[in-house]
Amino acid sequence: MKRIKQFVYNSDINRFRFYFQIFAFGLLMYGGYLAIDISSNLPTFACPFVGKGRGGTCYLYPLQHQVNMPLAQFISGRGLSLLTGLVTFILLFILFNKAWCGFACPLGTIQDWITKLRSKLGTRYSTYSEGAFKGLKNIKYILLALLILLTMGMSNAVPGIGKLSEDFMTPYCMICPGRTVLPIFNGDIKQLVVDFSSKTKLTLTALGMAVTGAFVVGAFAKKRFFCLFCPMSALQYIFSKIGLLRLIKDGPKCTKCGNCYRVCDVGIKEIADDVVNRNIVQDDCMMCFKCVAACPEEKCLDVRFLGMPVYRSTEKGFFKRMEGKGKNGN
Amino acid sequence: MKYFAGIDIGSTAIKIVLIDESGNIVAYQISPTGSHFQRNTLECLATLLARTGIKKEGVAYMISTGYGRKLFKEADESISEITANAVGAQMIGKAYGTVKTIINIGGQDSKVILIDDAGHVKNFTMNDKCAAGTGRFLEMTARNLGVEVDELGDLHLNAKGTPLNINSTCTVFAESEIISLLANSHEREEIIAGVHYSIARRIVRLAKRIGIEDMVFFDGGPAMNRGLVASMEDELMRSIIVPEIPQITTALGAAVIARESFLAEGEKVHA
Amino acid sequence: MEIERLERIKKTTAIHLAMEAKETLKKITEDFPDNPDAMGYFYSLFHKFCTDRGMLNSSKKLIGTMCLQVPYELIYAAGAVPVRLCSGAYAYDQIGAEFMPTKSCSLVKATLGMLNVNQSQYIDLLDVVVIPTTCDQKKKTSDMLKDKGFRIYNLEMPSVKDTEEGRLYWQRSVKKFALTLQKVTGQKITKRRLVESIKKISRARSEFRRLYNLRKQSPVSIWGKDVFLVTNAYFFDDIERWTDALTKLNNELEGRISEGISVANRHAPRILFVGSPVIFPNLKLPILIEQSGGIIVTDEVCSSSRLLYDFVTFDEANLYDMIPAVADRYLKPCTCPCFVKNEDRKRKLKEMVKEFGVDGVIYQAFSGCHLYEMEHKAVGAMLETDGIPMLYIETDYSPEDTGQLSTRIEAFMESLKARRRNRG
Repeated sequence: MKRIKQFVYNSDINRFRFYFQIFAFGLLMYGGYLAIDISSNLPTFACPFVGKGRGGTCYLYPLQHQVNMPLAQFISGRGLSLLTGLVTFILLFILFNKAWCGFACPLGTIQDWITKLRSKLGTRYSTYSEGAFKGLKNIKYILLALLILLTMGMSNAVPGIGKLSEDFMTPYCMICPGRTVLPIFNGDIKQLVVDFSSKTKLTLTALGMAVTGAFVVGAFAKKRFFCLFCPMSALQYIFSKIGLLRLIKDGPKCTKCGNCYRVCDVGIKEIADDVVNRNIVQDDCMMCFKCVAACPEEKCLDVRFLGMPVYRSTEKGFFKRMEGKGKNGN
Repeated sequence: MKYFAGIDIGSTAIKIVLIDESGNIVAYQISPTGSHFQRNTLECLATLLARTGIKKEGVAYMISTGYGRKLFKEADESISEITANAVGAQMIGKAYGTVKTIINIGGQDSKVILIDDAGHVKNFTMNDKCAAGTGRFLEMTARNLGVEVDELGDLHLNAKGTPLNINSTCTVFAESEIISLLANSHEREEIIAGVHYSIARRIVRLAKRIGIEDMVFFDGGPAMNRGLVASMEDELMRSIIVPEIPQITTALGAAVIARESFLAEGEKVHA
Repeated sequence: MEIERLERIKKTTAIHLAMEAKETLKKITEDFPDNPDAMGYFYSLFHKFCTDRGMLNSSKKLIGTMCLQVPYELIYAAGAVPVRLCSGAYAYDQIGAEFMPTKSCSLVKATLGMLNVNQSQYIDLLDVVVIPTTCDQKKKTSDMLKDKGFRIYNLEMPSVKDTEEGRLYWQRSVKKFALTLQKVTGQKITKRRLVESIKKISRARSEFRRLYNLRKQSPVSIWGKDVFLVTNAYFFDDIERWTDALTKLNNELEGRISEGISVANRHAPRILFVGSPVIFPNLKLPILIEQSGGIIVTDEVCSSSRLLYDFVTFDEANLYDMIPAVADRYLKPCTCPCFVKNEDRKRKLKEMVKEFGVDGVIYQAFSGCHLYEMEHKAVGAMLETDGIPMLYIETDYSPEDTGQLSTRIEAFMESLKARRRNRG
């Protein structure tokens, strides 16, 4: 038992995650061909626009459909389906907490591939001052609120405007880079268009193309650029505190070396600076555990499932991973 | 009947205290250290034993302390004078109150020791780099004023005017200062009072480094000087405990520890 | 005439240094029985170091350093070899006292003295001397050395390490240092060389961590005086040879532990030694402490643990990531009191006390070092709230106060033993 634990703690979680992401990508993008459908309330982007091949559906899609009903019907059979959808989402989510983002999300995987390409080319990433993204991080909560409110606005009259046009469809999906980028991997480029059929559709699809462009360029310049603005991340974080998978920090052991902050793709400073709180997951965290792999202090950062440690920072593990650097394209 | 000895080998005097199995003081002896302290300590011990009629074999355990402790090979153990002083002061001080701070002025050094409720050393500070504020300073003063050291206290208390400020911190320079004060026909009593205040102020500066807590216990040879005690109380701004025989507190502490060590060893053997 | 006088000074100082080193080595090896066999390597290393300065000759360029914030990874990657110049010799301290103010740090006086006496030799040997702008005395030392003809590089260090401004300032400063190194050695710092040098130093540090962790156990298998020798050797020894020697020592110590061999009495008070650095031959305090019945189980001084404890890591094996990563390691976890707001030092000491089962802390401050002197109250107060006694000792390199210090240390040991007995 002890040897298994040693093996796990010494392992290079970044490499494991790289292969796991490929596996999850395959599952979510092509699983449908093998009649795999994990769930239609997934806490990760698994885009319905991908068509038959997809192995599940991203929860934001059914959420927008379900919320698109008159307020009165919230307390009825239709309201019940909204509830059950939400509960399924929550149950799936708390199983792996924000690790859905770091290990499973195909949009995340694509961004990581773009990052690897940039690193291989030897191009430097762009750097920002620490406060640069502070205000911008709230955009994801705004997007989350909008995708619910705009959709409700299609079935309920908005004071002064009336009901919103059905052309809004599922408004978030119209601007989501998942809709444009993911089908490409199934040979489908139909989504890469600007729809001139109505003003609403024009605005939304034009925005969608702009976001797609920003997604690709942003991912090249900054690691996991899109994740800072992701409404799925915002929705997840609301329930993150009850997650079964947790990232715990033992503050007194922290030497403030800042290794964790430096390797963090989403630039979370609290992981290094906070030496008081134990549950250290922030709203941007995607639980990729690069921080745990970079921490040289024994048991300072702990990944726990149902209270039991499954991965932690160890001196031996750190040293082994250091020895492996410079090889394997690391 | 077993006896236990505490031997304090100071720079000026050797102090030996004998206690019995119940911890009561049987007798004590004070002799000058001189230059051959190994020999003089043995002589002092021999005198004490002869006076009390106790045989050398009757002394079950001996602990040496003070600056000559390591070189006195006859002792069974040696401990620092700080630990010994703390134990001795706490024991004697019980009759007066709860001792928390011990101020010891010796022949060549001075120390301040803070103890906790159980009598253990909490913190301490020493002035062992120079002779200012020690017994030497008083000896030099007495010599220059043509009096005996044990007359200094009464002379101070008889002073009519304000004490004179002695500004030099160094004993050697203070001597010149005293001589010039005498040449200017200042009163002996006022000079002596000034010397006492100078010493007291130095000690209080030393003590402030680690804090002063009531009750304060003052021992060491110079504590017999009532004038010095009065200055100390003024500078400390509180009344202080002075034992009847202030020179022997440290030796007593060593003897008490000797008794404890011996009894603890005995229990270990019988257990 | 001048040359003859210089030669005489050199000769006499060399004799003083050799005598001092011999005495320290004698105390270390003879007063303590049962030294590990693997320590033999380190004993003979120091014997050579003090009698033969020629051993510093290297086929590669030598870069002199002071303090521990100079990034060694960059020096190795540029094809040079670093050597830390901080001196622990009273013989050199006395020379340095001739042109330093009376109340100044012994370490700085000794280093200046050493560089002054062997001036022409060192100016030839050292391509450049890198001095980070840490404490006041180091800063002004660099000026004095410049006037003597040494090539000095001032590595600009911020006084505040917690802010983004400080961090970026330091990263730029290190980058400039890297560019200068390349010019000095004529060799480019490529990413492959940098990865290799990071790994080389990591190996050395991980062996040190092994030694560090071994001392957490009770009873302890090695005296603190020996560990100080090991870490002091890192200043000037070839790093790979040093790592090998330390590996052998660690293996021997693990063997000792499994056989139940311990160097100190089971009741010996476990001491954490902090403050001004212990540099050979000035092992005055550690030897006194261990002769008085204590055992130093760990330390927080810049010539020992603080030098080797923290690691570098990086995300991408490219220069734009690795150089800031190296810079970060030398700034962010550094607990030197030259930084304003040294909360990290207090936290570290708190954790060390817990991990090592420390009974008491001995805090050494060199007279004239305001940084350590001023921090001791805060550290003492923090330790007191945790119920750990601390002995504060202000001293310097001179051997004259050994008698007084031994009284204080013995009293402290006695009080620690009494506390232990009472706790049951």
